[in-house]
Amino acid sequence: MERRMTRIGYLMLLPSVLLIAALIVYPVVNTIYQSFFEIRTQTAALGARFTGLDNYVKAINDTHFRDTLVWTLLFTGVSVGIELVIGMGLALLMKRKMPGQGLIRTAVLIPWAIPTVVAGIIWTQFFSQNGMINYILQTIHLIEEPLSWLGNQWLAKLSILIADIWKNTPYMSLLLLSGLLTISKDYYEAAQIDGATRWKQFTCITVPLIRSTMSVTVLFRIISAMRVYDLIVAMTGGGPAGKTETVSMYAVNTYFTYGNTGYGAALSVLMLLISIGISLLFVDSLKTKGSV
Amino acid sequence: MLFVVVFLFVMLAPLAYMVSASFMSQADLNSIPPKLFPSAPSLANFVSALTQQPILKYVYNSFVITLIAVAICLTAGSMASYALTRTRIRFKTTFLVFVLAISLLPTITLINPIFKLYSRLGLLNTHLGLAVVAAVLDLPMTIWFLTAVLKGIPTSFEESAKLDGAGIFQIFVYVLAPIMKASLFSISILVFIGAWNRYLLSQVLNQYEARRTVVVGLTLYQTNHTVPFGVVAAAGLITILPLFFLVLRFQKNILGGIMEGGVKE
Repeated sequence: MERRMTRIGYLMLLPSVLLIAALIVYPVVNTIYQSFFEIRTQTAALGARFTGLDNYVKAINDTHFRDTLVWTLLFTGVSVGIELVIGMGLALLMKRKMPGQGLIRTAVLIPWAIPTVVAGIIWTQFFSQNGMINYILQTIHLIEEPLSWLGNQWLAKLSILIADIWKNTPYMSLLLLSGLLTISKDYYEAAQIDGATRWKQFTCITVPLIRSTMSVTVLFRIISAMRVYDLIVAMTGGGPAGKTETVSMYAVNTYFTYGNTGYGAALSVLMLLISIGISLLFVDSLKTKGSV
Repeated sequence: MLFVVVFLFVMLAPLAYMVSASFMSQADLNSIPPKLFPSAPSLANFVSALTQQPILKYVYNSFVITLIAVAICLTAGSMASYALTRTRIRFKTTFLVFVLAISLLPTITLINPIFKLYSRLGLLNTHLGLAVVAAVLDLPMTIWFLTAVLKGIPTSFEESAKLDGAGIFQIFVYVLAPIMKASLFSISILVFIGAWNRYLLSQVLNQYEARRTVVVGLTLYQTNHTVPFGVVAAAGLITILPLFFLVLRFQKNILGGIMEGGVKE
């Protein structure tokens, strides 16, 4: 009976294993393999030519790749950093009992639930020449002339970051809130009796106790920020002059516009290595997650 | 109180503006200072949205693909979670950690081989093909979520059903599913929203108009020189209506799903 159940167990795991093997493991292995070859869609009939590390050497010397990588990492660091700070603030406020709590928690879901493309389109309009942002800044006399937000590389980057922060902070705050709600009130009561200040309570009770929730949340946000694609496609299309193009956009163009499969694969593998490197920094908190 | 007002404003104003803009004329949209409300509300943008692109077709495609994805994800995910919590198979933790690790992969490491594989299998520009990929991408979250839920359910219910001679399938459908109803529903909604909003894979795998999803179709209203924001806003509103309905109607389930599940991009 027991052995039969075990066999049924493996059988029930099979659909997931097959799906993951076909659509995740095989593609990743195939991408790594192809990164060592010169393969072009245009000359596919001639087959692939093994070129060793040539694609990687080319990537390291490719200034456009370096630019996209620097911008992708900058985007990731700045957006996740700000989202963590604001998200933590929101989570602390949402934890308190107050009128409109249900309304707030529903409102938080709106930016999270709408497609990134829609968020991108709305913010593009806000940052347009005649848009709301220019109007508000002119009204309060911060600027005299309307700014070309999406036409200047640094302003375009700032616009993209603002749109991303609006879209992703709410979700971050919900995950942090779920961590906060697991902390027993007793700790705070005890701290109050001992006369600890609010800041002291935050740094000595809250932060240590939600540390693992926080690191897992941050890791997943970092990884998803590093994939950034649709927001920028919708807002600038990578412009002006390719200055807001991310690694994802560059790799997709290399594959499907230029048809340079081998090189696209090498760019993807480099991104994979960076993702693995970052994940390793978080391995301890993932272990606590893994021991559910 | 002030915080509540400011917060709601920041969260909702961009979307409210889109709704308002979808009823504005081009003159309203170009006016300086920018208008908050249409001077003469009209449905012209919706007419353009429906005629310039076959958006209802795109919405239909999104629905079909998303529903198939939810079905696959929940079926495979429930089976796996049952195996992980109710049978004595080996490598349980290894499998869970592995599943977590694959959800950290960059999409660009998957996309070209999947494209090539699908083109060989004739799965490009099909509902099923895109649905399977969408399902697999949300499978890690589903397995983690349902495994945690099943761990919390005592096995005593199943034991008595087993003594009565019920098989695994019957136990799942008649004993566990009713207990897990709310959780199954929550995770379905999360998978639904995830699949509905998935952009890059939909753009690459379903390029033909006949199988295009609505989030991809949305980007096609912009022509080279002008962005007809009123029309795009109307199309955007059509795109998010199903999501809006889900959020307003099932916020408790969604909040529960996010806050209990934890892992989601």
